[in-house]
Amino acid sequence: MRFKRIWMSLVSLAGCVVPLLGQDSLSVKGALNDTLMLRNSTVTAQSREQKLREGAFAVGALNIRLQASTLQSLTQVIDKTAGIRIREEGGVGSEFDLSINGMSGNSIRYFLDGMPLDAKGTGMTLANLPVNIIDRVEIYKGVIPASFGSDALGGAVNIVTNRRTRNYLDFSYGIGSFHTHKADFSAQYTGKKTGIVIKPVLSASYSKNNYVMHDVKVRNEEHTAFVIKDLPRFHDDYLSLFGQLEAGVVNRSWTDAFFASASVSKIDKEIQTGATQDHVIGMAERHTEAVSVSARYEKTDFLTEGMQLMATVSQTWDHAQTIDTTYRRYYWDGTYINGSYSEIRGRGKTWRHYRRPLTVVRTNLNYRFAEGHDLALNYLLNRCGNQQTDAWDEDFEPTDDVLAKHILSLSYDQSLLAGRLNNTFFVKDYINHLTVGQDELPSTTGSDKVKGSNTQNYLGGGVGSRYLFLEELAVKGSYEHSVRLPISREVLGNGSTVYPNLTLKPEISDNFNLGLFGSFDLGGGHALSYEVNGFVRLVDNYIRATVSETESMMQYVNVAAVHIKGVDGEVRYDWAGKLHLAVNASYDDSRDMRKYTQAGDISITYKNRTPNRPWAWSNAEASYTFHNVGLRDSRLRLACDYQWVHWFYLTWEAFGSASSKSKVPTQHITNASLLYSWHGGRYNISLECTNLFDALAFDNYKLQKPGRAFFLKFRLFL
Amino acid sequence: MKEIKKLFVALTIAMVSMMAMAVSCEQPEPEPEPEPVKEYNFDLFVCAVKHGGMSKNKNGTYVRSVPALTADQPRVEFTGKGIDITEDYTLESITKGKYYYQVPQKATGGFVKFHITKNAAGEETIVEDSEIPFKDNTYSARKYTHAWLADGKTLVIIGTANSAKQIIWTKIADSDAGMSILSEGTFDISVPTGFSAFSTSGLLTYRASDQKLYYFYLTKPKSGQSDATTSKTWIAIIDPTTMAVESNTEVPGDIMEETAGSAYGELMQNMIMYDEADNLYLSGLITVNGTEMGILRRIPAGQKTFDPSWNGFPNPEGKLLTIQYLGDGRALSYSQNNSLVEKLTIDSKVNFYSIINLSTGTRMRVKFDGTDLQYCGGRFSQRSVVVNGKAYIGVGGETEGEAEATYPTIYIYDCKTGSVEKGVELSKGFCFDIIRAMDAE
Repeated sequence: MRFKRIWMSLVSLAGCVVPLLGQDSLSVKGALNDTLMLRNSTVTAQSREQKLREGAFAVGALNIRLQASTLQSLTQVIDKTAGIRIREEGGVGSEFDLSINGMSGNSIRYFLDGMPLDAKGTGMTLANLPVNIIDRVEIYKGVIPASFGSDALGGAVNIVTNRRTRNYLDFSYGIGSFHTHKADFSAQYTGKKTGIVIKPVLSASYSKNNYVMHDVKVRNEEHTAFVIKDLPRFHDDYLSLFGQLEAGVVNRSWTDAFFASASVSKIDKEIQTGATQDHVIGMAERHTEAVSVSARYEKTDFLTEGMQLMATVSQTWDHAQTIDTTYRRYYWDGTYINGSYSEIRGRGKTWRHYRRPLTVVRTNLNYRFAEGHDLALNYLLNRCGNQQTDAWDEDFEPTDDVLAKHILSLSYDQSLLAGRLNNTFFVKDYINHLTVGQDELPSTTGSDKVKGSNTQNYLGGGVGSRYLFLEELAVKGSYEHSVRLPISREVLGNGSTVYPNLTLKPEISDNFNLGLFGSFDLGGGHALSYEVNGFVRLVDNYIRATVSETESMMQYVNVAAVHIKGVDGEVRYDWAGKLHLAVNASYDDSRDMRKYTQAGDISITYKNRTPNRPWAWSNAEASYTFHNVGLRDSRLRLACDYQWVHWFYLTWEAFGSASSKSKVPTQHITNASLLYSWHGGRYNISLECTNLFDALAFDNYKLQKPGRAFFLKFRLFL
Repeated sequence: MKEIKKLFVALTIAMVSMMAMAVSCEQPEPEPEPEPVKEYNFDLFVCAVKHGGMSKNKNGTYVRSVPALTADQPRVEFTGKGIDITEDYTLESITKGKYYYQVPQKATGGFVKFHITKNAAGEETIVEDSEIPFKDNTYSARKYTHAWLADGKTLVIIGTANSAKQIIWTKIADSDAGMSILSEGTFDISVPTGFSAFSTSGLLTYRASDQKLYYFYLTKPKSGQSDATTSKTWIAIIDPTTMAVESNTEVPGDIMEETAGSAYGELMQNMIMYDEADNLYLSGLITVNGTEMGILRRIPAGQKTFDPSWNGFPNPEGKLLTIQYLGDGRALSYSQNNSLVEKLTIDSKVNFYSIINLSTGTRMRVKFDGTDLQYCGGRFSQRSVVVNGKAYIGVGGETEGEAEATYPTIYIYDCKTGSVEKGVELSKGFCFDIIRAMDAE
């Protein structure tokens, strides 16, 4: 009990870590361990992030609360994690693709407090969630706990919001290059008499994204030939608005927590390019609006002692529009000619409306039937409609497709040998139901082959284990036979740059992880920790994005068999919470393993590296924190990080001469930041410079990323 | 005496005449000038995993340029060799001499001219010779048709605009110095009542004997893929100097319901040909017992409408896909045999080569060593080319989702003797799509 009290106190203290920074009697030691030095005694407690890392699963955990004062978006910090790679198409609000241990972004599921992030609207992503409300990010690699009830194949990202118990107000405003503005507000108020908790959140971000594009083709003055120039983007404005109000009660006889919430989001996005930057767009736009209501209920000792119920239900009304009503052909100088085809689809004019009502129901029932032995039953319903109408194209016949998934899972967790050995076992049942109404472009989308309804059932399961030999050495391994049902974007397209592929099959994979980790207290405030993970993914019907040869449109296709093997590792060093160094490296090798064609011949792509994906990259970061600089209770943190990504081929590497092949070039990106906090973290101001050396960088073929940019942010935390 | 003298003169004349006749009989008829044998490079286009025509390929398009296609040549390999054109250029292209002309895949908003050559390392490489921006009329990759005018320096391209409700044209001058747009415009042709769209590109050809452009196009009740029974084929005859439409007539449905292709012109597949007399041949579709079948029609030289009594492709087994003139009243056809599969798909292995006798309408499958060349996959392919009195015929029978089990092979048909010899092989596993004969540098 005593330990529990100390532990609870430490957790509470950790929750107040920002205000405590810089105080003489108390210091925080990095993100790995919250080491609290109380006068002359030192007590070391595991942070939630460290606990997660030391679980049976391969997981990366990031403390966002410590970095909320500097971050522009979550993608920036997640991209620096071992084994993770984020490919962005452009500037603020651009589409991105996240991969975990070699599995593509759409094999990854995103959750907000355990609920699918889509429930906040399809426009809400890691790139525009307000960082102030986030406590930490959990990144599960390959094997995902059954509690998520997810069909993720390559991993999952769970964003955990703040669960502070005291009242607070958090406001920040940032301004940066390319006319970028961001403002976030969040607060919590608990009525002393009523016990009602109210949590409002508001967030807005805007950017013109008018960064310079290098070496682009435009017409000469006579319009008789092309010349090469450097010109700014001119049609890439992005506006994101998000508001949420959550109200509820905690610690009542009938509930531990009951909250109801409503949120609205609105995303307006001008479209600047097609799948490559040669395809310049100057008028087409996309708008997304979503309204969501949800309720969550938590109760311990539900029905019987040791049983815990968590239930969440949400309904989202998501409405996206893609406006492509101009027959213009734009050039990078903003000039155009009246063309013959629409800008995005390269066909007739369209003003396509997508209404995607989403219903999510999630329940978790946990039962601890003995100390160290837990059973859990989980159910997830994810029903997404896709109603398409067109306000311009009179020939378009409205469609109404439905993609419904039911995922049922049962897990058993055990903790043995005084906690040194943790095991988890789970089984999952996936049911996919697709109703197809659309019949547009049957030869491209396959709509003629899947007309009507069909239901498919798949089984999966896995095991995870961790053994702690010493503080300095622990080993963990996990395995999952997982099924990843295609998401609506892959099956039904996005209405603009992604064609539907209604014949797309689910990905099925056997995922193996084996890792070592440990930490060393070197004395004198020096601490070193390490983690290394090896992984194997044996995937069938791997879903890969391809650029169609028609009008630069993308489409997702199945590749019969892909094997991915790889390793990632990270070493971190910390000295007295002042100097922090970290380096990580990731390598994965993804190969097409379909050996024989139906004719019995060896497939020409057998053992070829899967094209158009990065396979080696590394990050390094260094920071130093000064305390009491200028003002009392202040700190100054200087940080720098560097990212390297090896070049890769766009198409199968084996075919064609190397000199003729299209490549995505090597990236060298350096970022620097300065953060000054005073009044115990109440006031924070940060200055960031991204892409410090203005390097030309591409994540995707011919989609140039922003050059050097500056960002200034002020944060008030009361 | 006088009588004898007369007899002598008559005999003399007769003898001289006979001698003269004898001499003239012994003198061989002057041989027709043999066609000069031109030097060509053969550019071979393949796709990985699946065929690339109609933008079906998602796995890469590769091209090799080789000096000959005879059996003594080394097997044509694509592993580590050839040009990967996937992201920059389309399979479908206009060609002339050693040059390619096209709206490129990379969508720069212009029209490009390039050729394939060898770099310092001896590898094939593409050199862009010229690229011009369009003026007002714009064209998307693949979606246009073309014809070269008599001077060989003026290229006309035609496409549709405004949801395929307008037909636009652009005239481009080409020279060693580069290309330039001469003029452009929109034809005064409206979608007739009851129809909502034109075909994507139609088919354009220039006939030298009457110095006219013939533009074959469809009107369809709905844009997108069409149904032959509900479409109409039209012929617009255009003055290439003024680009004025001189006549625009509907083709009766019993002559032809649709042209064999209407979306990508002849950028890939040959569907129009001429004989020595400048008769114009067009391959098309007609519905027979509810199934679309091939038909070959002719506009005789000196006339401007199809000869309704002539059909060069009677009793079709399926669609007529490509047609190429071989000389001496014979043509090479690539067509389908519907009876081989229960349900015909775009990649069914049912396509075969035949020699058509245009005088009799009979046709015979191309054989090697007495055996028919195998059926092929690749509904949208053009792996045959006719140059220097020989037809080079590529065979590689792939089906959807898989690659060929045997080596794709070139067979060489001698247009004069009808003999067939085996030519070079291509590496296994690729989907063989196009052979182009390009002037050697």
